[in-house]
This record gives sequence, C-alpha cells and structure tokens, in this order.
Amino acid sequence: MFSGLDFEPARLPPEAEALRVGVRDFVERELPGDYLRNSDFNEGHSAEFSQKLGMRGWIGMTWPQQYGGGDRSFFERYVVTEELLAAGAPVSAHWIADRQSGPLLLRYGTEDQKLKYLPPITRGESYFSIGMSEPDSGSDLASVQTRASAVDGGWILNGTKLWSTDAHRNHYIVALVRTGPSGESRHEGLSQFIVDLHANGVTVRPIKNIAGDEDFNEVVFEDCVVSEENLVGAVGNGWEQVTSELGYERSGPERFLSAFRVFVEFVRYVGASPSDEESALIGRLASHIMTLRQMSISVAAMLQAGKNPATEAALVKSLGNDFEKTLPELVRLFAPRLGPKHPLRCSLEQTLLHSPSFTIRGGTREILRGVIARGLGLR
Amino acid sequence: MTIDLILDTAERVFTDHCNKELRDSAESGSIDDQKGLFPEGLWTVIQDTGLHQVGGRESGTTLADAFRMIRLAGKFAVPLPYPEILISNRFVTGQGLTTVAEGVIAPWARRAERVVTDDGQLVDEFDVVEGANLAGEPRDEVVFENSKSIELPPNFRAIMAMTRVAAMSGALEKLLELTIDYVGERKQFGRPISGFQAVQHNVARMAGEVAASTRASDAAIEALDTNRFVIQVSAAKVRVGEAAGIVAEIAHQAHGAMGFTHEHELHHYTRRLWAWRDEYGHEKEWQQLIGRQVVAAGADRAWELISDCAD
Repeated sequence: MFSGLDFEPARLPPEAEALRVGVRDFVERELPGDYLRNSDFNEGHSAEFSQKLGMRGWIGMTWPQQYGGGDRSFFERYVVTEELLAAGAPVSAHWIADRQSGPLLLRYGTEDQKLKYLPPITRGESYFSIGMSEPDSGSDLASVQTRASAVDGGWILNGTKLWSTDAHRNHYIVALVRTGPSGESRHEGLSQFIVDLHANGVTVRPIKNIAGDEDFNEVVFEDCVVSEENLVGAVGNGWEQVTSELGYERSGPERFLSAFRVFVEFVRYVGASPSDEESALIGRLASHIMTLRQMSISVAAMLQAGKNPATEAALVKSLGNDFEKTLPELVRLFAPRLGPKHPLRCSLEQTLLHSPSFTIRGGTREILRGVIARGLGLR
Repeated sequence: MTIDLILDTAERVFTDHCNKELRDSAESGSIDDQKGLFPEGLWTVIQDTGLHQVGGRESGTTLADAFRMIRLAGKFAVPLPYPEILISNRFVTGQGLTTVAEGVIAPWARRAERVVTDDGQLVDEFDVVEGANLAGEPRDEVVFENSKSIELPPNFRAIMAMTRVAAMSGALEKLLELTIDYVGERKQFGRPISGFQAVQHNVARMAGEVAASTRASDAAIEALDTNRFVIQVSAAKVRVGEAAGIVAEIAHQAHGAMGFTHEHELHHYTRRLWAWRDEYGHEKEWQQLIGRQVVAAGADRAWELISDCAD
C-alpha cells in the first residue's frame, strides 16, 4: 500500500492451527477453577506454570534445537501465545525472555552465551527483565546515563534502571548502558549487558503501582562488576540492538488482548438473551479484535520472512493499545453495581487499574505515532 | 489476462477518464448545477475493455477479483454503479446495464435496463422515482408490478455489503494519500504543516484506521469461498464503517477550509464514505449479527469463534 505500511495477507498454516486445541486443553487442565484469569501479559507470574509450558515446548519455540528451542515458525509461536493470552493464563514470568531477550541473544550473542542462557529459558526456569528506561530517560532512550567502564577482564556498571518489570522475581536483566560518547546521532556509544539480578552491586526495589501491585522496579547498579562474557553484541552497537527488539516487542497479540477477559466475562454476564445494545457492543468489540488479529498475523508473516516491519509493528501496537483501553470503558456502562466478587466486576476493575500502562509500556502512544508518521514520510 | 493486468488496465482507464469534472456532472441531488448525467463515455470504454465482466463466470476471473476491482473503483470514486454492474453480471446473465436494488432503492435505475433486487427478483419493466445518496450518487426508487424470481446465493446481502467494504477501503486509501500530499505542500507559520506534531499524530491515527480497513477488507475477500465469509464481511463492514467516519473527519480537519469547498475533490471521497457506510447495513446491524453469534457460542467459546480458521 504505502512505503512502510504493508500488511500483506497472511494465513496461519495448518501446522500452526494444529497447536490450538492442545494449548486450550492444557490451560483448562492446569489452571485452578478459582484463578482470576487475566489476559494482560504482565499479570500472573508463575514459575510452576512457566515450567510446565517449557516442558510442552512452548517457550523459545522459534529457536534452534541446539539451544533448547523447537525450530518452529513464528506462526506456531503466534498461535500458542494468543491462546495463552486469550485464556488469561499466567505468562509474565517467561514472557520477556521468550519474546525478546532470547531472540536478542540468538541474533547478537556469542555461542557461549546462547548455550548458557537459552536452554534454561526454554525450560521455563530462567526469567529476564528489560533494562532500558531510567529516571531521566523514558521515551528518550538515547539519553541513558547508566555507565559501564572497562576494567581488567570486564566492566563496572553504575547507574539506575527504572520500570523493569518483575526484576524482583526474575533472574537477569539486559541493561542498555553508555560505554562511550553519544556522537552526533546520539545513538553511538551504547552497549548491552546481561546482569544477574542477584549479583553484588545490584539493588532491586519494587515500586507499587496504582493497582497496589508490585510489578515494576528500580534497579540500581553500584560498582557492579560484570565479566566480558556479559557483553551482548558489539561495544557501541546497543542502539541497533535495542531497536531490533522492537519488531518483536510491538506487534504481538499481547498488544490488543490485555483486556480480553473483560470481553469474555461480559459475554457471560449478558447470558443467552442479550439486548440489542449488548449484542451490538459485543459485535463491535469482536470486529476490532478480529481485525487487529489479522494485522498482527500479517506482521508475524513479515517476521517469518526475515523482514523488519518496524512501522507496521508500531501501528498494530498503537491501534491495539487504544482498543484495550476503550474496551473496559464501553463495557462498564452495561454492568452497573455488581457485587464485589462478581467476575465481571473483578475483571473490569483489575483491567481499568492497569490500563494506563497499556499505552506507555513498550513505546508510548506519542512515540508510536511519531514512528508511524516517519514511516509515512512526514518526518 | 491475470487480475493484476486487468487492474493495471482499469487504473489507466480510471486515471484517464475519471476526473472531478466527470464526477461532478454525474451527481444528482439538491445543488443547482448537479446534472445527474450518466457517464456514457466512461461506460463505453469500460465495455470496450471488458472491465464490466470482471468476476463473471466465463471471464476467467473470480468474485474475489471483482471485489479487488470495486476497491480500485472506490479509490477513484468512479461515478458508475460499478459494484452493481459486476455483481449482476456474475449472478444474472443478460445484456445491457443491470443494477441491483437494496430493497427497492437502486443505483442509477433511471439508466438501467434491468433491476435485480437483493431478495431475488428480476425486474425489466419499472418506473423510477429519482433520488440520490448524500454523495449525490443516484439512488432511485424502483416501482414495479411484475417481476421474475431468480436464484441468488443465500449470502447475497453479505456479498453486496462486501462491495461497500471494498469500495470504502479504496476511498480510505485515497484519503490518506490526499492528506499526506496536502500536509506536505501546505505551508503555515513558515513550514509545511506536516512538520507539526499535532498534524503528524492525526495523520498517523488516520493511517492506523486505513491500514485496519484494508486488512479487514482483504481478510473478508480471502474468506470468500469458506464458511467464514459472512462473519468476516460482518466484521469488515463494522470496522471499515467505523474507520470511514474517523478518517473523513481527520482528512477534512487536515485540509482545513480548502477541503470544505465544493471545488476541492476531497468531498468526492468523504461524502461517498458517509453514504456507503449506511448502505447494506450500517455498523450496528452487523455488530448485532456478530454479537448474537458470539453470545450463542457462549463466553467460554467466544475466543474460538473469533479465532476460528476457515474451512
């Protein structure tokens, strides 16, 4: 259609569709009946559940077998991830490692790093956090000030990372740090390191969010010494590396399904004889989900073909996040004064309380619209 | 000829023959200088090039190809009952201009030799009460006493809704192109207005709506020969209809007062979008159709219905 806006038709191949029923059955078997299901990929941190997924081969699905992966296609991974999210399963423990830390290592890591870090991720035993933002660097990632200085046999890190989800219960963080001057482009002199979150010199402080949960954290490095083996990719190549993660980070089903359980509980709430207005709202929401899903699958096809659909991914995320926020706003007007334990009320309240994060995490709406505008040639 | 070559031919024909003057002269309605003239020259060219037979059973092309043509025609705001020409040609044999009525309202019935109604009647003797939609496209009431029953596919209304989905997705793409061009050319405060972040963000939002519409429309076409066709068309009519309002609004805002003038061609697309989203069922009708299916499936199978692959 336009340069940078090309959602080619794509259908999930039969071998991907074939996985669907198995994932559904698995979730029904494994989740306790009283578990409050949540389709937000950030909610629900369960080592037990992640390890079971690992045993089924549903983590690191697209990675080569020698690193514990399944040599599967992006389409197969797509089906498994959307089924888990739609079912509201607890997936946050392994999510970041599976989605982006692992692919980052596969692309830029050394053979030793791949052999060391990837197999435990695929077993659902090893969890990663993102170390990009800082107190003074939110959307403006090029301005990070955490610094790594070369010392004998390694590097010494100082600085503070912020909003690192689950750093208080994960094992590693991939930190974007300054190793040299930023240059005219502001994109030079950045590098990435894997840091053990339990190492000396690392302090993790959970930050309570408006829902009262402790999901994200401040991670402080004070003379934290890491070895040369902890460097990911080349010194100074950090900008290219973090931006290459974004196609994976921005286009997946987690960008439009966060509020999906509200939809499910609403369908349950209206029962067998909905009013015309209730039917219309359900149909409207379903139409949006169906369309976003088709767009997301199209991006999965581009990833599978080895393309870099950065603009399309930004567009799917932006549309999807706006939809995730709109869904509970529309549903709430049909569900007055429910009891405190009513599943629709619980789901609505939980989603509303987390909804501000939808259009912030992984690139704010404003940043994404800028990316799209650039893709359209406006800047 | 493959459909790609046919689309190339059509694009040349539309580019050469379908300009603002022609569209203006074809408009029918309340404005004094509207003439409601059927574009005979363009119709002749279309017949000479065989573009009126795309999607026909003996044409070597498919119904999906017809929808691709209708999208292209939507992108050029072709002032012919082009969807009706292609669809009637596929399902009803015979010569001459045949139009299709939604109920008793048919595009260009005043010029047609025959009318097919969407409930399966063929009418060749009829009177016409002239009318138009808000884009000035002739939408005439067909008055008749005798008709012949014909067999149309059971999902015929979905097929007709799909023509509007395809045409809208073409017009939406055109609006995005027009708007990107305009904000790049129009200078205010000493620079192109595309340099302002507020403008960039509106156009980015528009691009999201347009991309969603294109994808929804394509997904429905892809489902054509499957048991998913009706639900995909329903979703597309809902999604594209919603996008039509948003995109038309942003396009007009970006074009300022210029785009509000009759002289500018912007309204040939925005008014058609406003009209087409109401033809063959506005969003709410199709929303309810999907909603009832989801409810019938039940909460625990709602996802299954949404994610089901066609067979």
